[in-house]
Amino acid sequence: MTTETLASTVSAVPILDLRDVEKQYGPVRALKPLTLSFMPGEVHAIVGENGAGKSTLIKVLTGVVKKTSGTMFWRGTEVSLENPADAIAIGINAVHQEVVLCPHLTVAANIFLGDEVLKGGLLRKKEMITRAQAILNDIGFDIPADVQLGSLTIGQQQLVATARASVRGTKFLIFDEPTAYLTRQEADQLFKLIRRLKADGVTIVYISHRMEEVFELADRVSVLRDGNFVGTRNIDETNNAELVTLMINRSLEQIYHKEKVAFGSEVLSTRALTGTGFADIDLTVRQGEIVGLYGLIGAGRSEFALSLFGRNPSTSGEIKWHGKPIAIRDVRTAIDLGIALAPESRRDQGLNLNLPISLNINLPVYDTLQRGLTLNHRGEIDRAEKQIRDLAIKTPSRRSLASSLSGGNQQKIVIGKWLNHGAELFIFDEPTVGVDVGTKAEIYRLFGALLKRGAAIIVISSYLPEVYELADTLHVFRSGKQVGTHTYREKTEEEILALAIGV
Amino acid sequence: MATLESTEKPVSRKNYNLLFSLTLVGLLVALCAILSIATNTFATGNNIANLLRQGSMIAVLSIGQTFVIITAGIDLSVGAVVGFATVIIASLLQAGFPVWLAIIATLLVGLAIGVFHGFGIVKMGLPPFIITLATLTSLRGIGLLMTNGATINITHQGLAQFARDSFLGIPNLFWMVVVVAAPAYLLLEHTKWGRYLFAVGSNPEAARLSGVNVSKLIYLAYCVSAVSAAFVGVLLSARLGVGNATQGDGWELQAIASSVIGGTSLFGAVGSVQGPLIGAFILATINNGANLLNVNSFWQRIITGLLIIAIVYFDQLRRRGK
Repeated sequence: MTTETLASTVSAVPILDLRDVEKQYGPVRALKPLTLSFMPGEVHAIVGENGAGKSTLIKVLTGVVKKTSGTMFWRGTEVSLENPADAIAIGINAVHQEVVLCPHLTVAANIFLGDEVLKGGLLRKKEMITRAQAILNDIGFDIPADVQLGSLTIGQQQLVATARASVRGTKFLIFDEPTAYLTRQEADQLFKLIRRLKADGVTIVYISHRMEEVFELADRVSVLRDGNFVGTRNIDETNNAELVTLMINRSLEQIYHKEKVAFGSEVLSTRALTGTGFADIDLTVRQGEIVGLYGLIGAGRSEFALSLFGRNPSTSGEIKWHGKPIAIRDVRTAIDLGIALAPESRRDQGLNLNLPISLNINLPVYDTLQRGLTLNHRGEIDRAEKQIRDLAIKTPSRRSLASSLSGGNQQKIVIGKWLNHGAELFIFDEPTVGVDVGTKAEIYRLFGALLKRGAAIIVISSYLPEVYELADTLHVFRSGKQVGTHTYREKTEEEILALAIGV
Repeated sequence: MATLESTEKPVSRKNYNLLFSLTLVGLLVALCAILSIATNTFATGNNIANLLRQGSMIAVLSIGQTFVIITAGIDLSVGAVVGFATVIIASLLQAGFPVWLAIIATLLVGLAIGVFHGFGIVKMGLPPFIITLATLTSLRGIGLLMTNGATINITHQGLAQFARDSFLGIPNLFWMVVVVAAPAYLLLEHTKWGRYLFAVGSNPEAARLSGVNVSKLIYLAYCVSAVSAAFVGVLLSARLGVGNATQGDGWELQAIASSVIGGTSLFGAVGSVQGPLIGAFILATINNGANLLNVNSFWQRIITGLLIIAIVYFDQLRRRGK
């Protein structure tokens, strides 16, 4: 946006105006008095660490929770959002990180869910499919309207959710970490849609941990820290370093913390390893080494990791553990060898959300805690308390449910349950998705500590800066194949990205 | 969910369970107090002993059921297993087997049924609801075929005497609840397998990726349930002195109701041993009291239904926090 148009939008009446809006949960002030205006047709990014108050702000804006005090003006008139229906009625909608649609219905049925096209009380399925397809084509999404939603990739489902939100007279659309599960192409389609909505005068609130997206899309950016509003900047008057400093009060160099450790002996190697979703993978990982696996989602990296961990055993090829050929047929074998996996999805694979933190942390080690007929409760408590202390997991108690924690703290549990377990090879699959900058830095420092202890690490990420900065050896995956192997900074980030996309 | 971590009170499962159990005990005590005042027959030794005997069967069933529900499963077959078990033990006694052998054999039949459920769920991939529904109807059929629909009388005096006798003033049948509940409590709260059961019910994939043998735990849960049901079959045959495949009709629903009243979540990963026990005796007290008050037995069913709705509703409200 040019300076002139920006000036003109700023002088216009805000579409939504917050004055001293505050949210308290009991004695805790999750969102301290906040005064902020959103202009028609602007893309307004909101950044901050986990726990900064972004989620609370979204909930207040979408009517999920009621503000404790303060006033909100919608186009100059005071509004009170009692419930989500109120927000939707005036034109406020949100697209969440996790898709909340019906996987068993068609794409068209999902787009028209709650607003079906009827004739004489019966569904007009053909017409809905035609219209849904027109909408999808119009906004440039390459998705068929007549297939089951569940048959699409997570990224495509996310796009359908976006399409759904954008066609309902929405004037104010909130995106919460929309690209966490998108491939680069899908993200581009999404960005195209966002620019188009903006051109139509829709206000976009964009919440993301990925700074480059904020700079690519936003007109203005607001920073929250610990429930406080820190400030708003025009995007062309700020930079990455300033935003990060505002968010965390520490400098950027401290984040990608890389420990220089001399490599020891080989821990694991694979030769032509092939299984469902990947083929002919050759790699070696040594003590003190971080091996990075980069590729788009669906490139076969996670499938490869799961086969090393015995979840989906490989079908051919060879795995060597400390130089000796070995078959890893199940998870137990992998764990007993000394392999640990922090899986891709915290929610689906990593955590028992409705169980206590203590149980989650101890789950892999209960074998060693069983003393004859009963459990060593003291040991169980000590291990949990130790991990909570060592990893600085923010929780009132080890008995709190894992679901009550923020994303960053949940990720610490996913990782923490494998520490002090004697593992020699750690596989981290997307270790920092949805994790705030502060926790990210802590996780990277933890990698360093593990390396110094002589462990080997495999890091899988769709976020290039992460593996690019951390990995000693970087393997690039595309469509289940290994398409490149490079040492640290041997190629530029652009070259790696091009390799992964296949252009 | 940044706000939750700081705002929610420590959701302590242990404290919560304790609190909920105390509330249930309070309800039970209140029921007893009201019935003691309203009738002069309730607070008599005979009636209390009778109530304990009535409640014991469902209490044992509900413990087994709870193990299954904690894994996010369901066992609809337990009523049928009870009936089938009475047929097995009665036939064995009729054929002249010694009592101890007949009991062990009956429990082994229960174990086999549990293994079959595990096989259906783990190996054949059938939903627990379906495989146990299938055994519910088939076991009744097999039992009826074996007996040609007739009732087998048990002539063994010792068995009947055992069901009538008391120890330390408490009916033997109630002691059998303790015999089942004590090891069940140890297993669920004080062993790694107990922790694994909760983990499997909460998120089987996370459990598997933490090295838990999920299949084994499923077998364990359904075996506990089926053996408990077979044990109830033994107790019932002792109490009534007959073996008949149609006995225990609808008991699976009473066991599930007791378990749910006792705070077990049908979504899995939430449950205890003490809760369902209290739940079972709350139901038994209501039925007993309704009989004493001459309330139409049809009403008892309605009251039970309303009670389930009320208790579970309040439990869920409190779980949500506010």
